[in-house]
Amino acid sequence: MPLLDLLTLGRGPSHPEPHKGATAGRPIEDLPPPAEVILPLQQHLGDPALPVVKKGDVVRRGQKIAEAQGTGVPLHATVGGRVKSIDRQPHPTLVQALAIVLASAPEAESAPLEFPEDPAWRTLPREEMLARIREAGIVGLGGAAFPTFRKLQLPPDVKVDTLIINGAECEPYLTADYRLMLAEPRTIVEGAMLMARIVDVPRVLFGVESDKRDAAAALEAATRGVEAGALELRVKVVPTRYPQGAEKQLVTALTGRVIPPRMLPYAVHVVVQNVATAAAVRDAVRYRRPLLDRVVTVTGPGVMEPRNVRAPVGTPLADLVRFCGGLAGEVTRVISGGPMMGRALPRLDVPLIKGMNGLVLLTGKGPYEEGFGPCIQCGRCLDACPLGLEPNHISVRVEAGRATETVEFGAEECYECGACSFVCPSQRPLVQFVQVAKGALRKQRQNLQAVTK
Amino acid sequence: MSDAPAPEQRPFVVTPGPHLRVSETTASIMWWVNAALVPTAAWGVYAFGPPALEVIVFAVAGAVGAEWLANRLMKQRTTIRDGSAVCTGLLLALTLPPLVPGWAALIGGAFAILLGKMIFGGLGYNIFNPAMIGRAFMMASFPVAMTTGFSIPGAWYSRLEAVTTATPLGIMREHGMAAAVHSIGGPEGWFRLLIGMRPGSVGEVSVILITVGAVILLARGIITLVAPLGVFAGLALMTSFSGMAWLHLLSGGVWLGAFFMATDYVTSPSTRGGQFVFGVLIGVLTGMIRMWGGYPEGICFAILIANAMVPALNMWFRPRRVQAAGAPS
Repeated sequence: MPLLDLLTLGRGPSHPEPHKGATAGRPIEDLPPPAEVILPLQQHLGDPALPVVKKGDVVRRGQKIAEAQGTGVPLHATVGGRVKSIDRQPHPTLVQALAIVLASAPEAESAPLEFPEDPAWRTLPREEMLARIREAGIVGLGGAAFPTFRKLQLPPDVKVDTLIINGAECEPYLTADYRLMLAEPRTIVEGAMLMARIVDVPRVLFGVESDKRDAAAALEAATRGVEAGALELRVKVVPTRYPQGAEKQLVTALTGRVIPPRMLPYAVHVVVQNVATAAAVRDAVRYRRPLLDRVVTVTGPGVMEPRNVRAPVGTPLADLVRFCGGLAGEVTRVISGGPMMGRALPRLDVPLIKGMNGLVLLTGKGPYEEGFGPCIQCGRCLDACPLGLEPNHISVRVEAGRATETVEFGAEECYECGACSFVCPSQRPLVQFVQVAKGALRKQRQNLQAVTK
Repeated sequence: MSDAPAPEQRPFVVTPGPHLRVSETTASIMWWVNAALVPTAAWGVYAFGPPALEVIVFAVAGAVGAEWLANRLMKQRTTIRDGSAVCTGLLLALTLPPLVPGWAALIGGAFAILLGKMIFGGLGYNIFNPAMIGRAFMMASFPVAMTTGFSIPGAWYSRLEAVTTATPLGIMREHGMAAAVHSIGGPEGWFRLLIGMRPGSVGEVSVILITVGAVILLARGIITLVAPLGVFAGLALMTSFSGMAWLHLLSGGVWLGAFFMATDYVTSPSTRGGQFVFGVLIGVLTGMIRMWGGYPEGICFAILIANAMVPALNMWFRPRRVQAAGAPS
C-alpha cells in the first residue's frame, strides 16, 4: 500500500484493520430470554423516564414501565415477569443509575403483548407518527442514543431536503448494522420512507461503505419493491474509510455539503438516521411496537464464538458473552460500542442499553497502559484527521499548559473520532488532549461572559 | 451455550479510546531508520576499512552514553532504548571522514546529543538535527581532521597506513571542475559515484546503498519522497549553470542528507507543502555553499539553516481544513 502511495507522494490514509470477518458471515441470532433484565431509566440523551410500576408488579413484555418526561422517552418491559427492584444499578455510561430490574417469568404467567398492524400505517398524520415513535421509546441506535422523535421534530427555522440513512458502520469489528441490512432491508426502507414523510423531504439517500456491497444491493432491491411515489430513494456506496459513518463525513460523501464546525446536519438541510433506527421506526409506526430488542455484535479476540445477537434491552452483558461461548483467553478490556469511539467497561454486570451496537472483548495490553511519548512531529495525525485539524499542535500546547491557545488548530471543531490517536506512533492520547483544550476554551468563554455582563 | 461458565466479574482495564492502535511506535520507526542505514554503513566499512568502523562505534557510543548520562542528570526515565540516540550517533558517523580519530567522533556524538537534543528537552523538542549539530561542532573543533581525513576506497587492505586524499568536491573547490571530473575517472565516473568507489565520508559515498535504505523506509511508510525531491530539485537548480549538475548531485552528502536528514520528523515541517519547500531550501543552500561559500560541501549547514526555518514553514503550510463551502448544492 505505501509503495502505491509513492505516486501521490503521501503516506496514505491509515485505516484501521476492519476485523469484521469474525461476525460478518453470521446471521442475527436471537438470545433466549435472560433470567433478569436491568432497565436503566436513562438510556438516552434527555430527561430520565419516571417509573409507573412498583416492586412486585407483574409486567408483560412490551408493557410500558416508565413514562417519558420532558425531553426523554418512555421505557418498556423487554421481558415478561415481575418487577424485582427499582434502585441504583451499574450503567455502562453513567456508572450507576436508577433502573427497573425485571425477573423474567414463563409465558404462561406473563404473556407478551401483541402488536397488530395498523392498516392505516402508511397514511398517518405526521404528529401521530411522531407520537408513536416517541411512545415506542426509540432513540438513535447507532450509538448516540438521541431521542429519535426530537431529531425528526425540526426546529421551526429549519428546512431539510434530504434524509440520510446511515449504513456505513465504519467502526472496526462491528457488523450489527450490516447483518440487519441483509436481513431486513425492506423494514429499513419502509422506516426511511415514513421518516421522509415526517420531515417532508423529496429524497432519501442510503449510505453504505464499499466493503458491504451486498448490503447495499439488498437495500437497493428493497427500494425497488416499494411504492415510493414521488419520493426518490437512492442507495449510494461510499468509500470504506474510518470515520466514514460519522455524520459529518457521510453527509459530505453523499451530498457534497460540509456541515460547519459545531453545527448539526440541519445546517445543510439534512437529517441523518441510522439503519437500525429506521427499522425500529417502521415497527413503531406500523405496529405500535416499542423498542424492546436490539442487534449487537459481540466480538473480538476475547470471546469464544463471535456473533450478531438480537437481545432484549437490559440483558446483562455477561449473558451475551455466555451466549457467545464465554470469554476466550486473557480478556483485558471490554468495549461498549466500537473500538474506536467506544467506551471501556470495568465489568460485565452492566446491562445492554438501547444505544449499544457492539460489545468488543479485547486481549493484551491496551494503549496508554505504558504511558505515552513526546510528539515527534511526524505529521501522521495531520494525514489521519478527516477534518484537517492539527492534533499535534493542540496536544503540545495542552501539555505546556496553554490549552486555550488551540482554537486556530481546530480544538473546538473536533468530534473525537480518534483517527489521530490511532495512528500516533508515540501513543499520545490526542483525543483526550483535545477534550482538555475544549474544556479550557469553554471555561474561558464563560469567564469572559461573566466579566462582560 | 447457556451452560458455559459465567464470565468472571473481575475488573477489566479501563482506558480512554480509541482502543486500537497501529503497531508502529516511535521506537520501531527509529530502529527501522537505523536498519535502513546499515547497508551504506557496511559499505563505508568495506571501502574505508577499520578506521570507518572505529568512527561508527565511537560516535554511536558517544551519543548513547551522553543520552544515558543526560537521563540520569535530568532524572528522567532512560530513553536510549527508543533507538533515537543510536540513530543520531550513526548519522553523525556516516557524515564523518573515515580517518577522524575515534575520540573525536566520541566527543562529537556526545555533543550532538547533549547540545543538539537533550538541552532542548529530549526527543521531539530539538530545533536542529542533532547529528548535524555534532558535525558542525566537529568542523569548528577539529577542522584539519574534518577536511583532510579522507582515504582512497579499497586502499586499506593493500596498505597498512591509510593515506589521506581529497574528495571530488574538495578537488572541485581547489582545482576546478575539470580536475574533479578527472579525479573520478573522467565523464564516465558517474558509475563510480553510484556504487561509492570514491573518497568521501563514511556513509555518504554509495548512492545505490543509500537508495536501498531509502526504499525500505518508503515501503514502510516512514518517509515520503516530498522533501528528498525538493533537495534534488533545489541543488539541480542551483548547480545547473555550472554545467556539471550531475557531479554535484552524485557527490558529497546529498543523498544521505536528502533521504535521512531532510526527512527527520522532529526537525522538518509536518505538512507536504512545507516539506517540499524545506527540501528545496536545503538543495539551494547546499549549491550556494558549494559554489560560493567557504566549504567544499554545504549539506550540513544547509540542513541546519533550513531547520531554523521549520517553525515558520509549519505556520505557512497548514493542512487543508475541511470548511463549509458557500451555498449547499
